[in-house]
Amino acid sequence: MKWSNVQLIFLREVRDQLRDRRTLFTIAVLPIFLYPLLGMIFIQVSQFTRQYPAQIHVVGAEQLPMAPQLLDGERFSAELFDFADESNLLEVTPYPGLDGPVGDELTAMVEQSVRDGECDAVLIVPATFGQQLAEFRQKLARKSLRRDQASDIIRQIPGPTIVYDQARDESRVARDRLSRVLQLWREKMGHAYLAENQIPLAVARPFLAKETDVAPEAKKRAAIWSKVLPFVVLIWALTGAFYPAIDLCAGEKERGTLETLLCSPAQRSEIVWGKLLTIMLFSMVTSLLNLLSMGLTAGMMMRQLQAFQKIVTDMPLGLPPLPSLAWLLVALVPISALFSALSLALAALARSAKEGQYYLMPLLLVTMPLMVLPSLPSVQLDPVTSLIPVTGLMLMLRALMESDYGAAALYALPVLAVTGACCLLAIRWAVDQFNNESVLFRESEQFESRAWLRHLVRDRGDTPTVGQAMLCALFILLLRFFISSQFSLPADWTGLATLTVLTQVAFFAIPALLMAGMLTRKPGETLLLRTPRWLSLPAAVLLAVLLHPAAISLSMLIQQTYPLPEQIEQISRTLLSGAPNLWVLILVIAVVPAICEELAFRGFILSGLRHLGHRWWAIVLSSIFFGVAHGIMQQSITATVLGVVIGYLAVQSSSLFVCILFHVTHNSLAILSQEFLQQYAQRLPGSDWLLETSEVGVVYTWPVVAVTLVMALGMLQWFRHLPQQLYAEERLQEALSHQTARATT
Amino acid sequence: MIQVSELTKTYSDLRRGQFVAVDRISFHAMQGEIFGLLGPNGAGKTTVLRILSTILRPSAGIATVNGYDVLTEPALVRHQIGFVSANTAVYDRMTAWELVEYFGRLYGIERSLLRERMENLFERLKMNDIRDLLGSKMSTGMKQKVSVARALVHDPPVLIFDEATAGLDVLVGRALLDTISELRDQGKCIIFSTHIMREVERLCDQIAVMHRGHILSAGTLHELIEQHEEDDMEELFFRLISDYDTRHELANVER
Repeated sequence: MKWSNVQLIFLREVRDQLRDRRTLFTIAVLPIFLYPLLGMIFIQVSQFTRQYPAQIHVVGAEQLPMAPQLLDGERFSAELFDFADESNLLEVTPYPGLDGPVGDELTAMVEQSVRDGECDAVLIVPATFGQQLAEFRQKLARKSLRRDQASDIIRQIPGPTIVYDQARDESRVARDRLSRVLQLWREKMGHAYLAENQIPLAVARPFLAKETDVAPEAKKRAAIWSKVLPFVVLIWALTGAFYPAIDLCAGEKERGTLETLLCSPAQRSEIVWGKLLTIMLFSMVTSLLNLLSMGLTAGMMMRQLQAFQKIVTDMPLGLPPLPSLAWLLVALVPISALFSALSLALAALARSAKEGQYYLMPLLLVTMPLMVLPSLPSVQLDPVTSLIPVTGLMLMLRALMESDYGAAALYALPVLAVTGACCLLAIRWAVDQFNNESVLFRESEQFESRAWLRHLVRDRGDTPTVGQAMLCALFILLLRFFISSQFSLPADWTGLATLTVLTQVAFFAIPALLMAGMLTRKPGETLLLRTPRWLSLPAAVLLAVLLHPAAISLSMLIQQTYPLPEQIEQISRTLLSGAPNLWVLILVIAVVPAICEELAFRGFILSGLRHLGHRWWAIVLSSIFFGVAHGIMQQSITATVLGVVIGYLAVQSSSLFVCILFHVTHNSLAILSQEFLQQYAQRLPGSDWLLETSEVGVVYTWPVVAVTLVMALGMLQWFRHLPQQLYAEERLQEALSHQTARATT
Repeated sequence: MIQVSELTKTYSDLRRGQFVAVDRISFHAMQGEIFGLLGPNGAGKTTVLRILSTILRPSAGIATVNGYDVLTEPALVRHQIGFVSANTAVYDRMTAWELVEYFGRLYGIERSLLRERMENLFERLKMNDIRDLLGSKMSTGMKQKVSVARALVHDPPVLIFDEATAGLDVLVGRALLDTISELRDQGKCIIFSTHIMREVERLCDQIAVMHRGHILSAGTLHELIEQHEEDDMEELFFRLISDYDTRHELANVER
C-alpha cells in the first residue's frame, strides 16, 4: 500500500465533499443554526407552559375550616406558595353540579369529569371534615386528650381527596401543584395547633440536617458533563460518518465514477484507507461543531432561564472543565475511527445512496444499546464491560472526564485493543467488499424466497461460503445464548453430564452437520473428515502435552486478574467430584465437547471462512467465535488462544481428526491436572522444581513453561512443513501479494 | 500485446443459476492494431473488457496484457492500460484539469512531466476551453474527451474503448474515431467494442463478432467478407447472429 496514493485519494475526497452543498449543510450549517433555534423554541415553549394555569374544581369548599385559610376566592391562599405569584397557577372554581352531600354518586361524576378533561383535577373535601377538625382543635385546646387519643382522632378524620388523571400531563401537573399546596396548608395547621397550646414552633423541628458537598466545583461540572457529552459526541460522530460514507461509496457507484477509480492504479486498500480517513475527518468535524454549538447555546439558555425564572438549584452550571474537554477530543479519534470504518463497510455494501440510507437504522439499532448501556448507574468499567465495543470506550471516556485515571489506565489496554480490533475488522470487511464483484456490480434482483432456497441447494459449492460460515457461527451463538439461559445449573453429576452432552450435540454438532449436509456438495471435505498423515496424530498429542504448562499458566493468570466468583467455582468443583470415575469424567467433559466443537468451529466455520482468501484472518475469526461460544469471559480468552492453535493445525493438516485429538488431549490434561497436580505438589519428592503453588492453585514453574513452550514452537514448525491444501482464494491472494511486492520494487 | 485464451466468466443468478456471460473465448491483439469487438447488446463485450481492465476477475481461462496476468497481477496490468467506457464516468465536482491531474498522480507520474503531458493532451484533444469546467456542467462529448485524456495521461501501451462513442453526436464521435486511429498510428494496441457496423468498417484491423458470450467469427474485414461470401457488413453481422440463434433454438428443442 502506498501512502502517497492514500493521501491523494483522501485530499480529493475531502475537496469533493466540501464542494457538495448537502454535505456542508449537514456538517456545518445545520449544527450552527439547529441548536440556537431549538434553544429559542425551548425557551418560548417553557415560558408558555409555565403560564398555563391548572383548572381545579373543589367539592365541599364550605366544609373547609376558616383558619388557616386554604382558599382565597378563586385562588388558593398566597401564603401557601413559595412565591406569591405562583398562586395564579391554580385556578379554583366550585364544582358545578349537584350541591348535595359527598357520596358515591358524586364521586363517580367527579371522576368522569376529570377523565373527560373538563378540569385538570378535583379536590373533594369530605362532609364532616371542617367540623371534625374544629372538634379536635377544641379538645386540644382544653388539654382533655391523652396522647394516644389524639393520634386516634386524627386518624379518624377523613382527609380531602385529589382526583386526577395520570394519563394526562396537565392533570399530573395539577396534582403535583395541589398536593404541594395541601402539604404546606397541613404544616400551617400543625403550626397553629402548636401556637395555640403555647408550644414553641421549634419543637416540631428539633434539629436541622446540614449537608456538606466535598466535590470541587470543577469536578461537579465534570460529573454532569461526563454523562451527557460522550453520548452527544458518539451520536454525532456516527451521523457525521454515515452520510459522507454513503456519498463516498454508494453515491460513487450510482454516479458511475467507481469503475473509473477501480481501473486506476490505486489499490483497493488504498482506496478504502483514503475514503476512511475522509469519513473520519468529517465525523470528527461534525461532532466538534455540534458540541461547540450545543455548548454555546446551552450556556446562553441557562443564563437566560436563570434570569427569568429564578431557578433555585444546586446544579453546577457552566462549561465543562478543560481537562474533560481535552479527553473528549482525544477519545473522539478512536470513536470516529470505529464509526467511520463501520459506516464505510456498510456503505460499500449499498448499491445506491437510497439503499445506503436503509442501513443507517440497523447500524443505529446495534450501536444505540451499546451507547445507552454506560448511562445506567450500575454499569461501571470492569473486565467485562471494557471488552464490549463502544460501551467500554464510552465508560473509559467517562472515567477520564471524571479524572478517575486509575480505572481508565487499568482498562485502557483491553478497551483500545477491542476498539482497534473492531476497526481493523470493519476496514478488512470494507476492503473485501471493494474486491467483491458481486457487491460492486450487484444488479437489483427481485428477491423471492423460493428461488433463493432453490439457489442455495442448486448452486451450492463444495465448501460453505463465508456468509454461510458467519451465519452458522451467529446461529450457534444465538442458540447458546437463548437456550442455555433457560436452564439452571444442574444439581448433581448426572444432570451436569446430560446437560453438557445435550448442549454440545444440539448447539455445535447438529447445526454444523446439518448445514454441511444441506449447503455444500462435499460435506466430508467441508468438515475435514480426511485421513491425516499418520505422524500428525501423535504430533498433535505431543503438541497438546507441550502446550499444557503454558495453558495452565495462562488460565491461572487470567483467573488472578479476573477471579471467577467463588460460588461458581465451588459448585462446579462439587459437581465434577460427583462423577462415577475418571474415564466417564474425561468422556463427558473432554471427548464429547472436543468432537462437537471441532465439527462446528474447525469444520464448517473455518472451512467457510477460508474463502476470505486470508488464512490467518479465517483462523483468528473462527477462534474468536470459538472463544465467545464458551460464554464465561475467563474461559473465552483461553479458548480464543487455543482456537488459533487448533485452527492452524486444521489448515496445515487438513484433517479434523488431528484437531479433535489435540483438543481431547488438552481438555483431558486440564481435568487431570485439576485432580492430581495438587496431590503431586504435596507428595512427590523433588516436585518443587516442576510445580509451585500460587494464590489460585498449583502451576508449573517458569523454566518448565519456557522449555515446553519452545519445544511446542518446534512442533508447530513441523506442522508448518506439512503439504497444505490452499483454497483458490488463498492462492490468488498469495499471487496478488507477490505482485504487490513486484510493483513496489 | 493482449492474449486471451479460453476466457470464461460466469455469474450466479438467483433464477437462472450459473449464468455464463463469456464462454471460453480466445483472441489476441497486436501492437499498432485496432481490434474490434462487434456484438449486439448483452453479447458479453463489456464483461470481456472489464476483465481486461481488471475490474472483474475471470472465472476460468487466461488473459494477459503486455505479459501481465489480469488475475494475479492486476496492479501491473492497470499500469499498462487506459480504459474508457460508458461506465467510467467523470467526477461531477472536479474540473477537467483536476481530474486528469488526479489520475496522473495516482499513476505516480512526476509533477513536471505530468504537467507537460497534460498541456499536450489538452492541446491535442482541444480541451483547453473546458479546463476549469466542473464535470457536472459538461456535455456528454466534453465528458468523453476528459475520459480519453484520463486514459491517456500515463501514456499506456494498451487502450480499451468500450462503446466509447455511445451517446456522442456525429461531430464528436468522428473526432474520437480520428483520435483512436491516430493512437494506432503511434503504435498503441487498441481494443474497441461497439455495436455500430460503420465504426468497425472504418477503424478496425481485426474484427471479432460476439454474441451470447461466444465469438462467432473473427478475422480482418476482408477475411470475414470472403469467409462468409457477403460484402455488406451489416448483412453479414445479422446473418451470423440469426444463424447462431436458430441453431441454438433447434438444439434446445431437440433437448
